[in-house]
Amino acid sequence: MNKLTFADLEKYAKTMADSGPNWVRVSIDTGGIAAGADTVCTIFEKGVGTLGFPVEVRHVGSLGYSFADPLVEIAREGMPRVIYGRVDDEVAHQILQDHLAGRRLLDDHILAWRNRALTFDGPSTHILVKDTSAEKGDKSQFFQFSLAEELKRCNLQDKVQVVRALDMGVYDEGVAVQFLPSRVTYTNVLAPDVARIVKTSVQGKKIIDDLLYKKPDKQVRVVMRNCGKFDPENFQDSLRYGVYQGLVRVLSGMKPEDVIAEMKTSGLRGRGGAGFPTWLKWQITRAVQRTPKYIICNGDEGDPGAYMDRSVLEGDPHSVLEGLIIAAYAIGAARGYFYIRAEYPLAVSRVEKAIADARAAGLLGDNILGSGFSFDAKVRLGAGAFVCGEETALIASIESKRGSPSPRPPYPSERGLFGQPTAINNVETLAAVPAILVRGGTWYSQHGVEKSRGTKVFAVTGKVRHPQLVEVPLGVTLRDIVFDLCGGVFGGKAIKAVQTGGPSGGMIPEHLLDTKVSYESLQELGSIMGSGGMIVMDQDDSMVEVSRFYLRFCVDESCGKCAPCRIGGYQMLQILNRLARGRGEKGDVERIRAISTAMQKASLCGLGQTAPNPVLSALRYFEPEFKAYLEGGVSYARKMSANRPPEPVAAEPANA
Amino acid sequence: MPPETVPPELPTQLSAWKDEEVALLESLEQIEHKHGFIPRNIAEEVSRVLEVKLERLRKLQIKVESNVRKEVDTLVTKWKDEEGSLILILHEIENQHGYVPREIAMEVSYALGVKLARIYEVLTFYHYFKLKPPGRHNMSLCLGTACYLKGAPAMLAEAKTLLKVEEGCTTADREWHLDVVRCIGCCGMSPAMVVDGKTYGRLNASDVSRIVNQTTQPKAAS
Repeated sequence: MNKLTFADLEKYAKTMADSGPNWVRVSIDTGGIAAGADTVCTIFEKGVGTLGFPVEVRHVGSLGYSFADPLVEIAREGMPRVIYGRVDDEVAHQILQDHLAGRRLLDDHILAWRNRALTFDGPSTHILVKDTSAEKGDKSQFFQFSLAEELKRCNLQDKVQVVRALDMGVYDEGVAVQFLPSRVTYTNVLAPDVARIVKTSVQGKKIIDDLLYKKPDKQVRVVMRNCGKFDPENFQDSLRYGVYQGLVRVLSGMKPEDVIAEMKTSGLRGRGGAGFPTWLKWQITRAVQRTPKYIICNGDEGDPGAYMDRSVLEGDPHSVLEGLIIAAYAIGAARGYFYIRAEYPLAVSRVEKAIADARAAGLLGDNILGSGFSFDAKVRLGAGAFVCGEETALIASIESKRGSPSPRPPYPSERGLFGQPTAINNVETLAAVPAILVRGGTWYSQHGVEKSRGTKVFAVTGKVRHPQLVEVPLGVTLRDIVFDLCGGVFGGKAIKAVQTGGPSGGMIPEHLLDTKVSYESLQELGSIMGSGGMIVMDQDDSMVEVSRFYLRFCVDESCGKCAPCRIGGYQMLQILNRLARGRGEKGDVERIRAISTAMQKASLCGLGQTAPNPVLSALRYFEPEFKAYLEGGVSYARKMSANRPPEPVAAEPANA
Repeated sequence: MPPETVPPELPTQLSAWKDEEVALLESLEQIEHKHGFIPRNIAEEVSRVLEVKLERLRKLQIKVESNVRKEVDTLVTKWKDEEGSLILILHEIENQHGYVPREIAMEVSYALGVKLARIYEVLTFYHYFKLKPPGRHNMSLCLGTACYLKGAPAMLAEAKTLLKVEEGCTTADREWHLDVVRCIGCCGMSPAMVVDGKTYGRLNASDVSRIVNQTTQPKAAS
């Protein structure tokens, strides 16, 4: 490829990427592949040839709806765009036959759109219907039937198709229907409403106000703006979707100081967990006079239960690379590294391809876009050590040493990689940078709350009905995330706690779920934002067991350099093991508290300082459970927690 | 090296040669059984033959090792200009062999001028590197939080009884290696596990035996 110029990039950004009216996008990411997305993709690639009209099959990154992997998005001329979930081989064949050739949507596999409309902009051609209540006895089929019958009575059966959906994106709102292509959504539809819906909304194209679901989508996609839209391995596609426009803006006249000022306006803070202001980190590193300087992208996502960095790296590697180049320009670095877990081979290969493509196009290397700025990036693999997410340990690992952290100061901005000034930013932080530069810091800072601005991606997993990635502006409540976006607890059980921040975070009990999510609020509750894993636990989960699980993880991953972490963690684990077997001793709870305090105060790095967090927060909110283990053993504790009646407020979402 | 990476055109002598000492051991046992002891002249002769054989084996080893040296040399020259290249080299070795053999580690130490202890410091610190050869089939069971909550411990117990190994160990016949990993990033379909590079999700304990059978006898299952 020839070296690109500013004009080329602009031209690319102005030409539309979608070449035809018919296309199939298959989400090929690690989660999708695990669910069989690659065989599904081959079926489509082979199948579209026999259709007799051109259909483009494209590999894209993940849309984030992990519960419905593999995902396939389909556009067919004259039909509304839809996303299919849980597409196995058989369903793929059916889609080819019924949807692409026969122009009919499939039942039970469609995900309704989240960006719901409030008015009709044309005649409806399809109606999605789904019973969203968690109770047993699905009424979807009944409503599909009565809607279809009503349409038949009005002689509309050929113009409008009624389809059962897989998921509506709204939960516990009775029967919900969504009209396509307008995306108007009604909820709490009852049987007498059916006639009214067909008459007023389908024939008359008017909104029925008492049924309309007015709540806007809580998700705001900044970091995941491009995930699921184009082929991450296709460089031209990335350019057409506006990747590298932030870099264009930076290199066509902005000084590094301007970039830092823009970041300051945006209020972006490190998304790796600690929340250090990004602009400040860049400014400090910039202020150090020694060269060469380094910039590192921290993709060592070690938190069990968190996978947003992987999704971003797999779905939109070019944006992360763009962020890295901009960061390098701001701090004056000439070399950059991606540090990615070796357990993410697909992310590694996509980033490597992105780097090679960018280098061939002159976006990496000497004199980028003729601006006089030179920068190059490389990939380094992690090797399965949780502690290497800590910045000093990460640096040691890139230097091919064992990844033990070193005391700070000196901070990496002073003395980092190979003894040189180094800035380390998380994948998510870097992915947000280009968006901020394209749309402005003020735009970004309009999202968020108090000192936590912007959006954050959370991986909501565990005992949740629909585990998935959600990107929300900071300041939404945990209840919004768990209940409104992910559908509440799996199996209709009562929620007990939400764990945030992985092994360094803490448990947040049910009665505090209305807390607005921000760095400060979570810290007050004894947890941390962390990298964004959010694990939902129901009444069956024993807090002693869960805190033992997290502690065991930290003990396994402790590098052993400092005694508080190495010995304290182990001793605490012994106590918890004893407790979990029902052999607790008097004073165990106090002993745990004492060891925790020692670890928090005296450990060298974040791993040791935060390792007691899960245990401490469990103790803080669920001490009776620990006491029950202590007094009566395992089965007694189980009985106690099972018998405790759920508080009346707990059963239903706050804003239902 | 794991058995499957040996190229198909194995020297025909190898199989006969491998059984030789088994036959010898058997005949010695017969003699012992007959006489109650092994006569001195026989013992002396056997030891002499063994000495000769050991000498030849050493030569064989050197032959094989020169291959190792070549392999390491190409790796070292490939990454020579890179700062802090040790982990990169180890990654390549791990990916090629499935573990880091000691003789290769020694060769790397020699080629890079890094002490062997330093190499082992790195190797033993990171979970990704293994010092023992993997099995013919490898099962990595995810014990990330999401999988843990949704029943991975029961799956682990099932896998342990089924394969008769502890976590992190290989069966005696080197057929199966059972590993526990922390999050493979498929939390959306937990509990999950990876068998021979293929990920299985939304499992329960009873699925383990099905997957094991399917992997060991692909034909019978299909």
